[in-house]
Amino acid sequence: MRDVIVIGAGGGGPVVAKELAAQGLDVLMLEAGPRHADPASEWTHYENDANNPLTGFLRFGPSDRSAPAWYRETPQNSFVWQLSGVGGTTQHYFGNCPRAYPGVFSGYDGPDRDAYDTAHVFPFTYDELRPYYEWVETTLPVQTSAMGTKEQTFFRGCEGIGLPVQTTKTTTRDSFRPQENAILQPGGWAGKVSGRDDPRLRYPESTGCTFCGYCFQGCTKPHGAPRNLAAKRSTDNSYVPMALTADVWASGGKPVTLLADAYVTEIHTEKRAGELVATGVTWRTGATGETNREDARVVVLAGGCTENPRLWLNSGLPNPNDWVGRGYTDHFFDWVIGLFDERTESSKGAASAARADFPGHGSMENVGLPPGLQQFAAVFSDSGIRGHYDNGRGATGPWDGAAGRMIGAELKDALMNGVDRLLNILVITDDDVEAQNRVTLSALPADEHGPVPKVRFAQRRRSARTLRNREYVSARAAETLRAAGARTVIRIDWPPLLLHVQSSMRMGTSEADSVLDANGEARWVKQLFIADNSALANSLGGPNPTLTTQALATRTAEKIFSMYFGGQGWVHAESPVPSTDTRISERLGELGL
Amino acid sequence: MSAYEGIGRRTFLARMGVLGAVAASGGLLAGGRGTASAAGLHLPGLVDLLRPVLAELSRDTINGLVVMVCPGPDDYSAAQGTPRPEPGALEAGATDFMLGALDNFVPFPDQLATPLAAALSTAVDDIGIQLPPSLLGPLLDSIGTLDQALAVLLRSDTALPLSIAVALLLNVVATQVNPLAVNGAFLSPFARLTLEEKCRAFELLEGPDADLVALLDARLTEPLRSSVSGLLQFIGGALLEFSVFGAYNESAVFDPQTKTLTARPVGWQLAGYQPDGVVDGWDDFIGYYEGRTEVDA
Repeated sequence: MRDVIVIGAGGGGPVVAKELAAQGLDVLMLEAGPRHADPASEWTHYENDANNPLTGFLRFGPSDRSAPAWYRETPQNSFVWQLSGVGGTTQHYFGNCPRAYPGVFSGYDGPDRDAYDTAHVFPFTYDELRPYYEWVETTLPVQTSAMGTKEQTFFRGCEGIGLPVQTTKTTTRDSFRPQENAILQPGGWAGKVSGRDDPRLRYPESTGCTFCGYCFQGCTKPHGAPRNLAAKRSTDNSYVPMALTADVWASGGKPVTLLADAYVTEIHTEKRAGELVATGVTWRTGATGETNREDARVVVLAGGCTENPRLWLNSGLPNPNDWVGRGYTDHFFDWVIGLFDERTESSKGAASAARADFPGHGSMENVGLPPGLQQFAAVFSDSGIRGHYDNGRGATGPWDGAAGRMIGAELKDALMNGVDRLLNILVITDDDVEAQNRVTLSALPADEHGPVPKVRFAQRRRSARTLRNREYVSARAAETLRAAGARTVIRIDWPPLLLHVQSSMRMGTSEADSVLDANGEARWVKQLFIADNSALANSLGGPNPTLTTQALATRTAEKIFSMYFGGQGWVHAESPVPSTDTRISERLGELGL
Repeated sequence: MSAYEGIGRRTFLARMGVLGAVAASGGLLAGGRGTASAAGLHLPGLVDLLRPVLAELSRDTINGLVVMVCPGPDDYSAAQGTPRPEPGALEAGATDFMLGALDNFVPFPDQLATPLAAALSTAVDDIGIQLPPSLLGPLLDSIGTLDQALAVLLRSDTALPLSIAVALLLNVVATQVNPLAVNGAFLSPFARLTLEEKCRAFELLEGPDADLVALLDARLTEPLRSSVSGLLQFIGGALLEFSVFGAYNESAVFDPQTKTLTARPVGWQLAGYQPDGVVDGWDDFIGYYEGRTEVDA
């Protein structure tokens, strides 16, 4: 019997695990995928070896890479970019940590209050979450991003279209800025030296981000740094090391037990005093096929926006308002590419270190990629093939020609112009919570973990506000690239690419369209909490979701501790320990991690 | 089978590229056993003989696919009308990347494979294709058996290689775009198309109201109905998206044992990506915008 079982070691689960471990609770964290305990030897910086969704080490599949990836049904042109493994999708994330716009919370009364998804706001205020933001920002830590050539190019474009610069963490108006990100600022020789096997680029001659450009392939830099001092603060580099060493940095702390290759297949419940209560979980060990069951006083579900509804439904948990899996938001991304004559160094540095925000519409950020992914992004379209057919779409605007995928000579020439002579802008739409965008169980065959999820997005029938917002930000992106000096600007019109995922098990103000109450506890199953992106009430207005998920998970940890373990909150009373603390590094060394 | 059905089946086999591939295989049906007809061949034997023919057809079709996203100095790029002097998808090993992905790693449940294959192997529509002389004559008697053998393969309980289903699909659509593609260089009708025609084939594949999608859906019942049409829309996008990833990434020259590259990847050459290989860092740190290293809450 554990105090708490956390299902999933991705962006959210390790936050709850670390916080409750610091309070001395006995926490078991179960991760379906691999551990990646020694990334310096297990990983490479090659994009196919890393990111191939079928075979890469950062795929969604079992620890055994020779076994097939886990299949999810997507009955439309789309791609659900899930990751298994300790760290979850933070392993490949860009570390960007903007706060949600204040307008997506209850109680917001700014002049633009009607510009947001007002039917699906958070069930508390921005000010309520602010201390939790600050706690996470100190823990990760979140810092102002360093600038490389591609950021300089992006800023030149933003200045050119007349945007002001933002110098606060809270976003209140249309503006641009360096990202606030969970990437340690470069120190020593980092960012000042190019090369390989140069001793100056080893820790501690270099600290923080070395500008290697491999964020999407997982961060292990600077070479030789302790795991908790790797530049990018993915949870496998930050919260998980803290959870595993809670006894050395927290008074009375108890290290978390972490089991990888452990796929949870059922959440157990029983009726107690007329209420349904979560009692524990069953998981399957991938290597052996054995199943295990453990009980806990509290179960925390953090398997992600696609897996949580699946596990919920496969466990036969109640779904009286039919909102389990509904209201899935994905920021309905789009992609705009600018081709330049001058160098942008797009493939170097933190992959996405600059952004612009448009509260009420969404946001945008630059993204640098290696060649294969760069070309994938240029071909992933719902608008057919430029110059050949438009698949019923092919929007025109301040970009060149109709939106659509490039092909043939145009596609090849775009890359031959130079991967370091282009700039990509990711369009991040403030998209509405809509019941039609959802996860159900697939009619296709079950796998060893039960029926698989089916993820359905009606991209062509999204709300008028969502579609309008996407056009607005796409136009700003194209104008920004032109102002930065792009010779050619191409809009791709991506189909749904589920990388920013939110709200499929949402908390909300109304019992009619939410799964969680304002504490993050399931409305119909007591002692069951959800603490990942699926718990978010909405798409945050466009800011990247991880920071808000981690702030919310911190708050949820306090709720769990006070509601079921007789304790009190700590965020308002204490100061957080940064995840870079030397006590953590030393303990990791003792543990061989 | 009636005479009319025989003609229909023959046309369809030709459109999928199967008839041409069999004819080109040099006597699978007519020659090898010293008989003029496959009617004398036992069905299981024919199935075994057909399998490698379909694998070749599949490879040829995928060659025609990957040069869409990265044309080079090869015959397939020339055939689609976009020859290029510098290396392309074939030099980058994109065909093997696609075949490996499709056949070894893309999950393709029988619940989808079987109805898809059944729809393909029974969908006879007459768009007035005139079969070339090479596909007429000596094979006429074998059509029924060949058709049965293909049906056995497509409906087999052993997993159907997805690459074969994809190749048949691309070839059927190719001959819908250009009926003359049933005959010519290469094994695959799809590989015979111009780039413009290949694009039109993809338009038919991924269009929300595509005839082929409707045809496939009509043969299925709920809850699988939208799953097959949805899969087709997914494939319509994924074929190009995965081809392009394979054409420009390092997979063909990566040694998984040593985790090193045996040569500079084609995509890196084309892109000018990291000229000296993998790095530990770059000297691209300029500073902080307006000198600001931190911001207020």
